[in-house]
Amino acid sequence: MKIPERILKKVEKPARYTGGEWGQTVKDKNAVDVRFAFCFPDTYEIGMSNLGVRILYHVLNSREDTWAERAYAPWVDMEAAMREEGIPLWAHESGDPLKEFDILGFSIQYELCYTNVLNMLDLAGIPLLSSERENGDPIIMAGGPCTYNAEPIADYFDLCMIGEGEEVIDELVSLYKEHKLRGFDRKAYLHEAAKIEGVYVPSLYTPAYNEDGTLASFTPLYDDIPVKIKKRIIKDLDKSPFPTKLVMPFIETVQDKITLEVYRGCIRGCRFCQAGVVWRPVREKSVEVLSEQAKVLSDATGYDEMTLSSLSISDYSCIDKLTDELLKWTDERKISLSLPSLRVDSFTKELMEKISTVRTGSLTFAPEAGTQRLRDVINKNVRKEDLLRACRVAFEGGKSQVKLYFMQGLPTETNEDLDGIRELAQSVIAEYYATPNRPKKAPGVTISAACFIPKPFTAFQWEAQCDMETLLEKQKYLDAQINDRKIKYNYHDAKVSRIEAVFARGDRRLNRALAEAHKRGLRFDGWDEHFSYEGWMASFEAAGIDPSFYANRAFGEDELLPWDYIDIGVTKEFLLRERHRAYAAATTRNCRETCNGCGANHLGGERSCCPSLKK
Amino acid sequence: MLSQPQKIRVMFSKTGSLKFISHLDLNRTVRSAFLRSRLPIWYTKGFNPHPKTVFSVPLSVGTASLCEFMDFRVTEEITGEAICERLNAVFPVGLRAIEAYEPVKKFHDIGWADYELVFEIPDAASMAEPVRELLSGEIVIDKTTKIGTRTVDITSLVRVLDVTVEDEKLVLKLRLSADDASYVNPKYIVELMISKLGIPGEKDDYTVCRTAVYCKDGETIFR
Repeated sequence: MKIPERILKKVEKPARYTGGEWGQTVKDKNAVDVRFAFCFPDTYEIGMSNLGVRILYHVLNSREDTWAERAYAPWVDMEAAMREEGIPLWAHESGDPLKEFDILGFSIQYELCYTNVLNMLDLAGIPLLSSERENGDPIIMAGGPCTYNAEPIADYFDLCMIGEGEEVIDELVSLYKEHKLRGFDRKAYLHEAAKIEGVYVPSLYTPAYNEDGTLASFTPLYDDIPVKIKKRIIKDLDKSPFPTKLVMPFIETVQDKITLEVYRGCIRGCRFCQAGVVWRPVREKSVEVLSEQAKVLSDATGYDEMTLSSLSISDYSCIDKLTDELLKWTDERKISLSLPSLRVDSFTKELMEKISTVRTGSLTFAPEAGTQRLRDVINKNVRKEDLLRACRVAFEGGKSQVKLYFMQGLPTETNEDLDGIRELAQSVIAEYYATPNRPKKAPGVTISAACFIPKPFTAFQWEAQCDMETLLEKQKYLDAQINDRKIKYNYHDAKVSRIEAVFARGDRRLNRALAEAHKRGLRFDGWDEHFSYEGWMASFEAAGIDPSFYANRAFGEDELLPWDYIDIGVTKEFLLRERHRAYAAATTRNCRETCNGCGANHLGGERSCCPSLKK
Repeated sequence: MLSQPQKIRVMFSKTGSLKFISHLDLNRTVRSAFLRSRLPIWYTKGFNPHPKTVFSVPLSVGTASLCEFMDFRVTEEITGEAICERLNAVFPVGLRAIEAYEPVKKFHDIGWADYELVFEIPDAASMAEPVRELLSGEIVIDKTTKIGTRTVDITSLVRVLDVTVEDEKLVLKLRLSADDASYVNPKYIVELMISKLGIPGEKDDYTVCRTAVYCKDGETIFR
């Protein structure tokens, strides 16, 4: 810790900055070959909860030749103090400036943290553009969900890891060490790295554009690097590296508990959902391995809460066996189990009784759309009866409050679908009063509505987002419809969703807009108090960019998309087929019932539900 | 197994990074350390079982301490040495259990606490005298609480033990009231120095550390 105490004394939550937590890894910096820092472009509280960083921190620190540390975006009060006193951004474990590191690995979780990436590089005193960095500067790499379309941030990164990082990060560090020991040459390293499966080096690929602004071609600079970059997956999750301890945050974080990752992928195929596609194929961990890992982590951390994590936990094929196995010892150790969002069709009395946080707190379900027609369009495969049955189970179990997640602005949505949202909420209230053994309290339903954002690698990747006026009108319409005091209606800021949409489907030209935004001091865009729509509009204008081109334009089905150079496993043909089925309001069955030929099975994988997987 | 859970008091130090965590977060940190230690901690019954940990006089964020106290109960016979050993094996650096025993005194028997304030100020040697002078007269501070700011005379609640210069740093040793009703936060002394003498300046670093805790008589060490 090298921050003067007088600064720590005056900033909010100083424990964000000190390091020194239980479980952190400290090594002798002179005894390692590679110094790596995981950089999280948001606050300590958010970054400390990230499962990916937890795993990769363990992977790299398991190497004797490497010391991996952590860094986070300082909150604005700390940033002001740092700028005033010329303190460069540092890593938590050693307190050393990030500038001195070999590699910085950014975890890019969502589009609204892009300005924080630039701000962190700036605070670290590292040239922002990859093209301006020299041999003595750190290699700046990116991983995480946003790298499935890294084009809008491509100029700032030396390389991106596409897909699951456990193995590829190890290969990249080994290659780095090799190059470092024989005299590091940045260009040579990046060229070699680009040959590793799952590695994308943006500077080695050149886009060209048509007159109408769409992408014409995307060409590698060398013959010996792939034209299409194949996503990496871990084939056998039982054998994949797993942290045996965690860094225990000093202050409360957003997921202040053990996250037990049960499986990757999703059998469902909701047409708006990116995670459900990019994590395919489904690969499960076995109950035996999970149970053992849970024990190890609870011993090592002392956390009293554990959450079972995956995209749709109740779809885990051995969920009953797993919860039974865990409950054998968690109660005695005062550890409570929790589950993230549950599908209504799998929410049962048995499950609810097992899971303590379901017994307390409020319950959240995600019907996503108000009418059966629209739920069929998005392939949610949930019926009103399922929702009401799940709510009844909850009410009988002592619940009176339910939270319902929806999306507004989905393709083909009309006012009738918005009416459906209100009607669904009212049906839940009616179901409450129709439940004889309900609690003796007034019921409450909270509708939480996000704006639809078309995302790469989904059946809706070609769709336009509704323009701002339409989004606002839809919110106003539904707000006026709801006049029952038992129903509360919350909705996301349409302006924020629009910026997210621009970057989600953006191309390389957006890098300029990002530079403009950084110049205007934008950061923490995901935080209401710092988000500036006007600042963004000014940035787009200064960069000569029309945000509607990205957010509000329907992309052509034969158009070359900015992210088409990535082989995600799932084919573009499958996504297109799904898009057409959406317009016919035809549903697609889940992967466990039938194979729909998405293409992900060619990636392989153990304990996969994929019926046609080649073994 | 004990027929009745036994009360234990642990004296511990809170230094380094740990001095920047709040009272609430200290509680969380200790709670997870309890689970890691596998000590036979007694938990409350009921829906949300928790170890009933009680801490003595809270410490301001940023202030270190060599003598903090926490009380809890154990369900099995265990020596003080074993408790300290097992806690220290799982405490983060900066948190150290020093001694564990069955308490006799109650936390409200606490009356005074000693603090060491170290200022890294330019020309520290010449500032010792003005500081001595400032603290030998009437000490009147502006105390800000939820209700507002009021002026309070704390002369009788402050004893100046020593004002010295060590390694070009100004070192202040004070005994301040730690009584529930008239607790004096050492920050008031720092604020007074800033307003009357202009030290420490905005760029001067300083540390505050609680070094001892006494009973109401101001002489008997509290334990």
